[in-house]
Amino acid sequence: MARVQPPSTGGRCREGAISPKAPIHQTLCPRPCTRAINRLLSETSVSSRDRLRAALEHREPDRIPLDFGSTTVTGIHVSCVAALRHYYGLAPEPVKVHEPFQMLGLMEDDLRAAMRLDVTGVFPRKVKFGVPAANWKEWNFRGLEVLMPGEFRTTTEPNGDILAYPQGDATAAPSARMPLGSAFFDNIIRQPEIDDERLDPADNLEEFGPVSEEDLDHIEASVRAAGVAGYGVIAGFGGTGFGDIANVPAPGLKNPRGIRDVAEWYMSTRTRRGYIHGIFERQCEIGLANLARIHQRIGGAVDCVYLCGTDFGTQTSAFCSVATFRELWFPYYQRVNNWVHANTAWKCFKHSCGSVERFFESFIEAGFDIVNPVQCSAAGMEPAALKRKYGSRLVFWGGGVDTQKTLPFGTPHEVREEVLRRLEIFAPGGGFVFNAIHNLQAGTPVENIVAMLDAVHEFNGVAHARSGKTE
Amino acid sequence: MPDLEKLNEAVIDGDWKTAAAVTQAAIAAGVAPLDIVTGHLVPAMDEVGRRFECEEYFVPEMLLAARAMKASMAIVRPLMAAAGTEPVGRVVIGTVKGDLHDIGKNLVAAMLEGGGFEVIDLGADVAPERFIEAAATRNAHLVALSALLTVTMPSMKTTIDAFQAAGLRQRVKIMVGGAPVTQQYADAIGADGYGDSAGSAVALARKLVAA
Repeated sequence: MARVQPPSTGGRCREGAISPKAPIHQTLCPRPCTRAINRLLSETSVSSRDRLRAALEHREPDRIPLDFGSTTVTGIHVSCVAALRHYYGLAPEPVKVHEPFQMLGLMEDDLRAAMRLDVTGVFPRKVKFGVPAANWKEWNFRGLEVLMPGEFRTTTEPNGDILAYPQGDATAAPSARMPLGSAFFDNIIRQPEIDDERLDPADNLEEFGPVSEEDLDHIEASVRAAGVAGYGVIAGFGGTGFGDIANVPAPGLKNPRGIRDVAEWYMSTRTRRGYIHGIFERQCEIGLANLARIHQRIGGAVDCVYLCGTDFGTQTSAFCSVATFRELWFPYYQRVNNWVHANTAWKCFKHSCGSVERFFESFIEAGFDIVNPVQCSAAGMEPAALKRKYGSRLVFWGGGVDTQKTLPFGTPHEVREEVLRRLEIFAPGGGFVFNAIHNLQAGTPVENIVAMLDAVHEFNGVAHARSGKTE
Repeated sequence: MPDLEKLNEAVIDGDWKTAAAVTQAAIAAGVAPLDIVTGHLVPAMDEVGRRFECEEYFVPEMLLAARAMKASMAIVRPLMAAAGTEPVGRVVIGTVKGDLHDIGKNLVAAMLEGGGFEVIDLGADVAPERFIEAAATRNAHLVALSALLTVTMPSMKTTIDAFQAAGLRQRVKIMVGGAPVTQQYADAIGADGYGDSAGSAVALARKLVAA
């Protein structure tokens, strides 16, 4: 299937990583080709959904489905989205930041067509900071004009750090900080004093509740829009991430209660297991009730659901043993996945960074169909071995290229070579959706991103949007 | 005389209350603070590191052990300082500028402290000049730099270059670590050492101090 060609990416401009003094926007490569984009816009979406479904059912699709931006773990930093828009000669409008915590840019249909993407996403009505992803307003993000949710509020410290506030309330304590020199927010820990005698799982459940009619309307409208466009659809409804450490500090709550400190939470998985079970049990009940109501509204209009982003792996090891996983997480995952499989045709998507091969059998047994980001750079995550052992039972959604080294710091030639190698490993027999290993980070050179996309198109035997030529 | 083996067990089991109580009782019974550290805390944390390396222990157990060790150290450290006891080495540690992640850095700091080092922890998002100031004023032997993000890794090089520019590079050894960091990257930016885990950081620090 693959035809390895000499590198075709030489001579393009190269950008450095973001430095504290540099504006966040990248040096942009000139590459307008509007006619090719218009042609692709009219043809790309025709069989995208079938292509995704074939891959999810472990059938070999006509070409490898390609995803960027359909979830909050397969996205692209807003600065890179802006650079890509410029590269493809698209309208120079500010990019919407639909996930402000990680500063992920929204993939509009014109860019989706230029990149030949096959999947689109359905996101919760509100972003992590508890404000609706709507009523967009302009914001100067360290030199780059972007659009942020209208109720999103920040202040800038004298040292250049940016503080973000829960529910857009600048009178509340800030819940996240973006240091000068960084391009993402991270949680500010607001841990109230812990009195073990008074701890109540309800304290850690404030952010989980029944979906509102407004939420359902939003989901229904998003799903309908995705269906019209003909893309494969993955939906992240929220609420079924059990102990996702990025959400434990509750950046959307003004006065979080319970266990909110990251280290304290990890220790609690060992020392307060009954408390954690109490949270997960109730969260699971709420999540299942919400899924039922959502399904009643949208039926089979989505192909898969991004259920949980809790990380179980580190670069070299894991956050817990398999035994702990099975005792503490497995029952809830199994209940959610069983409900999904019994009542819908949706496939279940699990994200976990790091060295997680040891959990794959348990993921499968718990009912997950899809794993992401397939961090091949972590210990024990050798791609050929993963494909051989789990390829018929798990869909690999990711693993396409390393985002810690090759994509941000390699040459376009190195990117192309790695992408083609991964495609040759993961493509046979279906069960593969191309995505990089996690979100594309700020400072990733646009020519490397394009080299990655071109390599996928080359493997797929389809035209590059840039030139309209088939490799 | 308290059973000091219980101190080892308390640290390994992550029981900070028992660790503090046994330490307090030992001090009251006249046990030398240095003996508590070298005879009990260091071997206990070595055992914790060993269990982490062979994946009997994971991050939660490491955090618990670190908390227990710190509860004991909080009692003996002032006494050792008053007595002028010299540590194995003095380490300035922090997560580099732009990066707020500190779990990995905290584990390394705890392992180093449990390994007999004096640890000056500058926290996260630490500018190069703060590392330099702390290393100079505290006469550090080692500087340990952590980064979790690909985007902030270059701050490690900026920091090392700043030590060079300040004329302090030859006075301290610099070790680096964090998820995206590799030996190759450490070599490329001129670091003296790279550790891929909290456990290996202690052995590396001992080696660098002895060099």
